[in-house]
Amino acid sequence: MSLSRLCRVVRCDLVKVQSSSALVSKLWGPCAPREVSTCSTQRASVAQHSSKPDWNRAVSEAEKIVGYPTSFLSLRWVLSDEIANVALHLRKLVGSNHPLLKTAKNLIYNGKNNMQAWGLIVLLVSKAAGHSPEIPDMEQDKAAGVLHSQRALAEVTEMIRTSHLVHKGLVNMNSRQPIAAEPDDMMFGNKIALLSGDYLLANSCSELANLRNQELVELMSSAVRDLAEAEFLGERDEQNNPLPSRPLPKDQIEEATEWDIITDPLPMGGVIGCAGREWSARHVLAAGALLGKSCSAALKLAGHKPQLQTQGYLFGCHLALAWQAFLDLEAFTGPEPASFSLVGAPLAFTLEARPELYEYIEAGKKSVQDVDYHALYKAVLAGDGLEQTKRLQREHIARAVHVLDSFPDCDARTALANIIVAMHHDHL
Amino acid sequence: MPVSCVCYAVHILKRFVAVVAMACLSSSRLCARVQDKLLCQFGHKVRKQTVFVKLKPPGPSPLRIFGKTCQRVTTCGPACGSGGFSAGASSGLVRRLASSLQSTSTGSLPDYGTQIVDPYRLLEDDLNGIYEDIRSELERNTNQSELNTIATYYFDGQGKALRPMVAILMARAVNYHVYGENSALLPSQRQVAMISEMIHSASLIHDDVIDQSDFRRGKPSVNVLWNHKKVAMAGDFILAVASMMIARLRSDDVTLVLSQVVTDLVQGEFMQLGSKETENERFAHYLTKTYRKTASLIANSVKAVALLSGADESTCELAFQYGRNLGLSFQLVDDLLDFVSSAQAMGKPTAADLKLGLATAPVLFACEKYPELNPMIMRRFQEPGDVEKAYELVHKSRGLEQTRFLARKHGAEAARLAAELADSPYQKGLVVTTDLVLNRIK
Repeated sequence: MSLSRLCRVVRCDLVKVQSSSALVSKLWGPCAPREVSTCSTQRASVAQHSSKPDWNRAVSEAEKIVGYPTSFLSLRWVLSDEIANVALHLRKLVGSNHPLLKTAKNLIYNGKNNMQAWGLIVLLVSKAAGHSPEIPDMEQDKAAGVLHSQRALAEVTEMIRTSHLVHKGLVNMNSRQPIAAEPDDMMFGNKIALLSGDYLLANSCSELANLRNQELVELMSSAVRDLAEAEFLGERDEQNNPLPSRPLPKDQIEEATEWDIITDPLPMGGVIGCAGREWSARHVLAAGALLGKSCSAALKLAGHKPQLQTQGYLFGCHLALAWQAFLDLEAFTGPEPASFSLVGAPLAFTLEARPELYEYIEAGKKSVQDVDYHALYKAVLAGDGLEQTKRLQREHIARAVHVLDSFPDCDARTALANIIVAMHHDHL
Repeated sequence: MPVSCVCYAVHILKRFVAVVAMACLSSSRLCARVQDKLLCQFGHKVRKQTVFVKLKPPGPSPLRIFGKTCQRVTTCGPACGSGGFSAGASSGLVRRLASSLQSTSTGSLPDYGTQIVDPYRLLEDDLNGIYEDIRSELERNTNQSELNTIATYYFDGQGKALRPMVAILMARAVNYHVYGENSALLPSQRQVAMISEMIHSASLIHDDVIDQSDFRRGKPSVNVLWNHKKVAMAGDFILAVASMMIARLRSDDVTLVLSQVVTDLVQGEFMQLGSKETENERFAHYLTKTYRKTASLIANSVKAVALLSGADESTCELAFQYGRNLGLSFQLVDDLLDFVSSAQAMGKPTAADLKLGLATAPVLFACEKYPELNPMIMRRFQEPGDVEKAYELVHKSRGLEQTRFLARKHGAEAARLAAELADSPYQKGLVVTTDLVLNRIK
């Protein structure tokens, strides 16, 4: 898509979604003609699906629609030698405070905050879009309305996601700061974390290879690459926790390049220092790319045309970003938390408006724990960062819902809409 | 078995004499170069040292080749002569192990004439720029400069490039076998060569984080220089890029074959975490682990190039078995060198395996004579003095010779398989490679 068209899109958005979107350049991938539309009608179409939205209900209802629970932590996995091995070693880690334990806990306990629903989304998209009539009966899971290959893909999505989370949970033993716990424990924990993550990645490789679709392998591998890139974007403390970049003055911000070919890496021109774009780029790499590419791949498996595959990509990407905005907002809805994400959208917008606050961020160069969260919390509440984040979330929801509207009306589409409603209801 | 091995030894000796004669006939510069190329191809850096210019017939002391410095390289270790060899053959353990070879070996190498093929020189054009190509492929796939720096760190051209070399050699040999003299290397086959090195490096990077090693290839290892989380991600990144390259070959079978490598690597790592109680199980465990961690990559990448060549099933299987045996031989020599080579020559510390708590072939063999090693193996050499004691016992036992014997058996099997391919310089190169692997000093 040409730059001039991007400008048109952004201008359209400016009219309809107001100021915030001006900064959110289209970083989340190829543009589709129908992408630009009004938000109001979209919102209405969501509202009609819901009476009283509830996250857990939305998810468990949705799980029923696509058959048995989608999580890969099923019996098959518990019975594998390697997982048994990991479980054994995990027990040795109990008592140490290696982050792997926390990662494992988060994986097992189903909550609103984790992304275990990713495989579910992929399956719902698969079912909502249907599949081409040429696909033989043998390859279909008739009862659930998805293809076996799509189910395998959903599993791969969760494995890649989990592998990334597990690898992210390593402890950097190379930092100048003394590590609080026993170094031996930490080293052992790192070893188990690295191997478990690799195990999941290796299994994704072979599951993907079994699908015998090389375009799909390429697309999903590029999602793994994007996740790895995400861990290098911008400033980091010594444990690689992300810090926002220093906001650049408006006149110094370069124009952003678009990400038209999603198998190429995300272009970084004009991203760093620009609050909205940096937020988008960060979370597209860390989340949107994987969910988007998985949804797109699911449609590819069903034999849909490239145009619809692109729509699938946009749906997944926008949904992941809306989800992220929702998580960012959550820190500011209840009582004041001890800490919150420093790269969340509310703080990014606040920093942009008040660049002098960046000195609080600089205090966290060694460790994000050194940051004065209370001061930043007050600054966020005082400014319009929350408002802008809500607007950002609405924009992404609108775009996701827009794609959803192009699918035929069915239970899977309703389930997806319900999940979206449950996600943003709290803040509206 | 004893007879065949003696034959093998005699054959190697004969060949060695030929090399010596050849070297002596030529000018001294050439002499150094011939030997250099034939024997020391693995040490690009070390090549300049005078150590390799000395050319002596095998010394009389059978243990010298296993001496700590091991500066002299011979094509035939005296261990395969009468002493070390018969001890090995009489050992029940060795017999058991020899059965791990897929097919029974005749033990004698095919005669590949007086022409000495140097695989690295033979493939100079193909291998030229392979590291640059890998680096630019990685660079193309990221816009994060630090990720690029870490990911390309080990692709500095200082490695042996054994895996790409073997892959290209097999590619050309199989192409020749199938299409005759006018066959060329396919671009996709060269891609597989690059991919094999990338998968290898990705696993090295993760190994560095796991093992906390300080040096690799004579320079600080990645985990010393960068944040461990970033290093882990860089490993994932290399794997992802390699996987994209595999996908772009658009061959279902090649993707399946190469995805098996990644699974094997991880399963091998998991096997390394545990050990088995009984000796019998322990050795089988060790061999399976060795296959998964080292041989699988070589075996499956040469199988992949054979598939791309369009060779029939039996040729692909032959390629696979060649790679498997070569890989096992390679790793056995590696485990041996961990005991005999100097830290300087290896570019990494020695007795590293013991320090990591790993019992490799030399220790497992030594355990037959010195059962006191058993409890040490079980506690992973963790008590003070364990590493030193085990090191000493291994040197006192025949463990090193037996390991070399086993490595040689696998090398000979690989050479036998290679000889089944149509005669070509590349096919000869495959045979020579089995020697290079056995006789390397680092």
